[in-house]
Amino acid sequence: MSEYSINASAINISFDGVHILHDVDFKVKAGEVHALVGTNGAGKSTLVKIINGVYKKDSGTISIFGKDLEYNTPEEALKAGIAMVFQDLSLIPSLTVAQNIFLQTHPYRKGLLIDDRKAGENAKELLSMIGVDTEISINDKVEDLSVGKQQIIEIAKALSHNPKVLILDEPTASLSSAEIESLFTVIETLKKKGISIIYITHYLQDIFKICDSLTLIRDGKIIFREDTIDINLKYLVDAMAGGESESISWNRKKAMRSGTPLLELKDLNTEKIKNIDLKIYPGEIVGIAGLLGSGRSELLETLFGIEKLRTGKILVNGKAVDISSSSKAIDEGITLVPENRREQGLVLDFAVEDNIVMSIINRLKKFIVVDREKTGKIANHYIQSLNVKTQGPGQVVRYLSGGNQQKIVVAKCLASDSKILLLDDPTFGVDIHAKHEIMKIIMDYASKGNGVLFISSEFKEIAGFCDSIYIMKKGRLTEFLSEDVSEDDLLLKVQ
Amino acid sequence: MTNRLKEIKWREHVIYFIFTGIILLFSVLLFDRGFLTGSNLMNIARQTAMISIMAVGMTFVLAAEEIDLSFGSVVALAAIITAQVLRATGSIILAILAGLLVGAIIGIINGLFVAKVGIPSFLVTLGMSGIILGTARWVSHLQSIPINNDTFTFIFGSGDIGPVPVLFIWMILAGSLGHLVLKKTPFGRKVLATGGNKISALYSGIKVSRMKMSVMVINSVLAAFAGILYTGRLHGARYTLGTNEVMIVIAAVIIGGTSMFGGKGSVIGSVIGALIMGILNNGLILLGLSVDQQMIFRGLIIIIAVSLTMREKKG
Repeated sequence: MSEYSINASAINISFDGVHILHDVDFKVKAGEVHALVGTNGAGKSTLVKIINGVYKKDSGTISIFGKDLEYNTPEEALKAGIAMVFQDLSLIPSLTVAQNIFLQTHPYRKGLLIDDRKAGENAKELLSMIGVDTEISINDKVEDLSVGKQQIIEIAKALSHNPKVLILDEPTASLSSAEIESLFTVIETLKKKGISIIYITHYLQDIFKICDSLTLIRDGKIIFREDTIDINLKYLVDAMAGGESESISWNRKKAMRSGTPLLELKDLNTEKIKNIDLKIYPGEIVGIAGLLGSGRSELLETLFGIEKLRTGKILVNGKAVDISSSSKAIDEGITLVPENRREQGLVLDFAVEDNIVMSIINRLKKFIVVDREKTGKIANHYIQSLNVKTQGPGQVVRYLSGGNQQKIVVAKCLASDSKILLLDDPTFGVDIHAKHEIMKIIMDYASKGNGVLFISSEFKEIAGFCDSIYIMKKGRLTEFLSEDVSEDDLLLKVQ
Repeated sequence: MTNRLKEIKWREHVIYFIFTGIILLFSVLLFDRGFLTGSNLMNIARQTAMISIMAVGMTFVLAAEEIDLSFGSVVALAAIITAQVLRATGSIILAILAGLLVGAIIGIINGLFVAKVGIPSFLVTLGMSGIILGTARWVSHLQSIPINNDTFTFIFGSGDIGPVPVLFIWMILAGSLGHLVLKKTPFGRKVLATGGNKISALYSGIKVSRMKMSVMVINSVLAAFAGILYTGRLHGARYTLGTNEVMIVIAAVIIGGTSMFGGKGSVIGSVIGALIMGILNNGLILLGLSVDQQMIFRGLIIIIAVSLTMREKKG
């Protein structure tokens, strides 16, 4: 038996004559946590999709424990022992946790019927293995759970297949620190059972915490396979970018917190948030540090007219305004880059330009028709100024990378001449270059006297980027920080 | 990636190939039976005009990711009301307004339930179609209402201007106007955005419920107008008008490249789709098929055509 649980060698694949993967060798030892690292577009999703049976490779072999296997669908891959946890959740919202976990398999039956009791017990066992059985009931409906908890169910679902190789795609992205810790504990447990884990993440520090080894892929070629202890973060980041990476220090000059605030919240209350007082001054980037479920997204959605305001006042430039709908918010100069760009930010089958002008389509009227020339001008302006990688304003956004999609959402907000930009984790799932570009765009925006309210799941970003920071816990703002803080400070304060 | 783009282009344009294919097929098969004569083609245009006009409205509804099953009975009720008002008052304008008003009111009721109450349009319009048809049967006492106002019948259905049927002109008008509104105006873009992704549309400040309301009203008003044209063409109204056309109209729109899942719509495609339906009808009759055989063939061809237009690439 081979020491490698999975050994893919000399993999090639092309799409329409474009060579995407070049003789890629990729192997993972049994009981090893192995990171697959690369920027967006490097080819890691393509490689994973080949391993997972979604794409058919043009040439090369894949062997599982030394045995060459041919499989062409995710179902066959699953039978071969390869299970994947998807980044885009694949759960059925209206079903319960237990029903979701055993959705495809339904292994527990009484004759023709599903044995719900047995399935429930086993689901519970899986949850307790992950250490969340006290927080999540197997009878909870998935739609009632937070994104973080849904992600955990997704992992439990993959584990229910007893895989030999488990692929985790950005598993921690939407988890709270505590949830991440318990996930890492699970990964350790799985490792001891001899399961190999292919770990894909943009959180490079996690790789050094949890992974034994890593493979770096760049431009469809394998750059190296190393043990994690032999390299460090700096080396990895440099190698990812191909030596073009520059270290980023934001060096922002702090905005003065004086005069009339651009945005002022007085004792805001909704179903989810309580007694919110907050001020943003012109030119200021204000951060909200809070865990998932702290009410941070709900606060932003309230300011954008999506969540219903119960009591309290919203003042823009010292004047009380009515924000009972998103169109009113946009009229008052407030725009939101929502948490989920694909579901909330974009119409995926619309062209780049149509997405960019979506909020201002009424302002682009010439007689009764949309002014195509002006639309094109605006779109081209933002494609250039935000450096969007696209074939042109007419390209459908579905096929853009995550970073470029996010830039389109930001462009849509900027195009409406907003004064206040609400950002809900704008750099989530975005590669490091696009991330820096997006941060730069936000800084430029603020420096023009606009205000920014910024949420990030990476506290490092908040600590390094924001002029002042509110700590949010359980729907309340508990602390205000205007001095420099470190990531560790924030991590402690939000607990 | 290029492959995907090709795929989309293919799906958008396949309608024109089907259209040309069917015309060629019938031209050959029916060469000696007068398929290509001017009078037969104008006949097809007459038979297709109302389907086309309803298809224009349905394009908006489907593009916004809604459905309307009640428009067939709107045709009947609007036709009956128009005919009754015309007989009672003798005023063409009043009659037209009354007919269109019927459409508008029903559209508003549909829209309120869909947009404000939040009931799926499928259920609302299924229920409404019963109510409307029942009303149509009741107010007409199941009787035909004949019309002998020549001006009315000339303008709204039976007239020809030179060799061109008036109905054909109405069809071109509705098609061009619909195309302009859906493809070129902010309103059309907002309809497509609503159907493409309701949530993103909402997050972009688009008043989603107003869009839903609007498409339901547009569809009902156009159906009412089709009812008026049926009245003019047949020199009278009857409660059976329209109800048989519901599936044909929806099929025409889908063959024309409008997505049932919203976000994509082509008014021109829908009109071509309606023409395909009309040509099929005409050709199958000329071929000498019995009514039963026609039904079977039409069903088959609809399924094949829709499969071609909806062909999705796997993976």
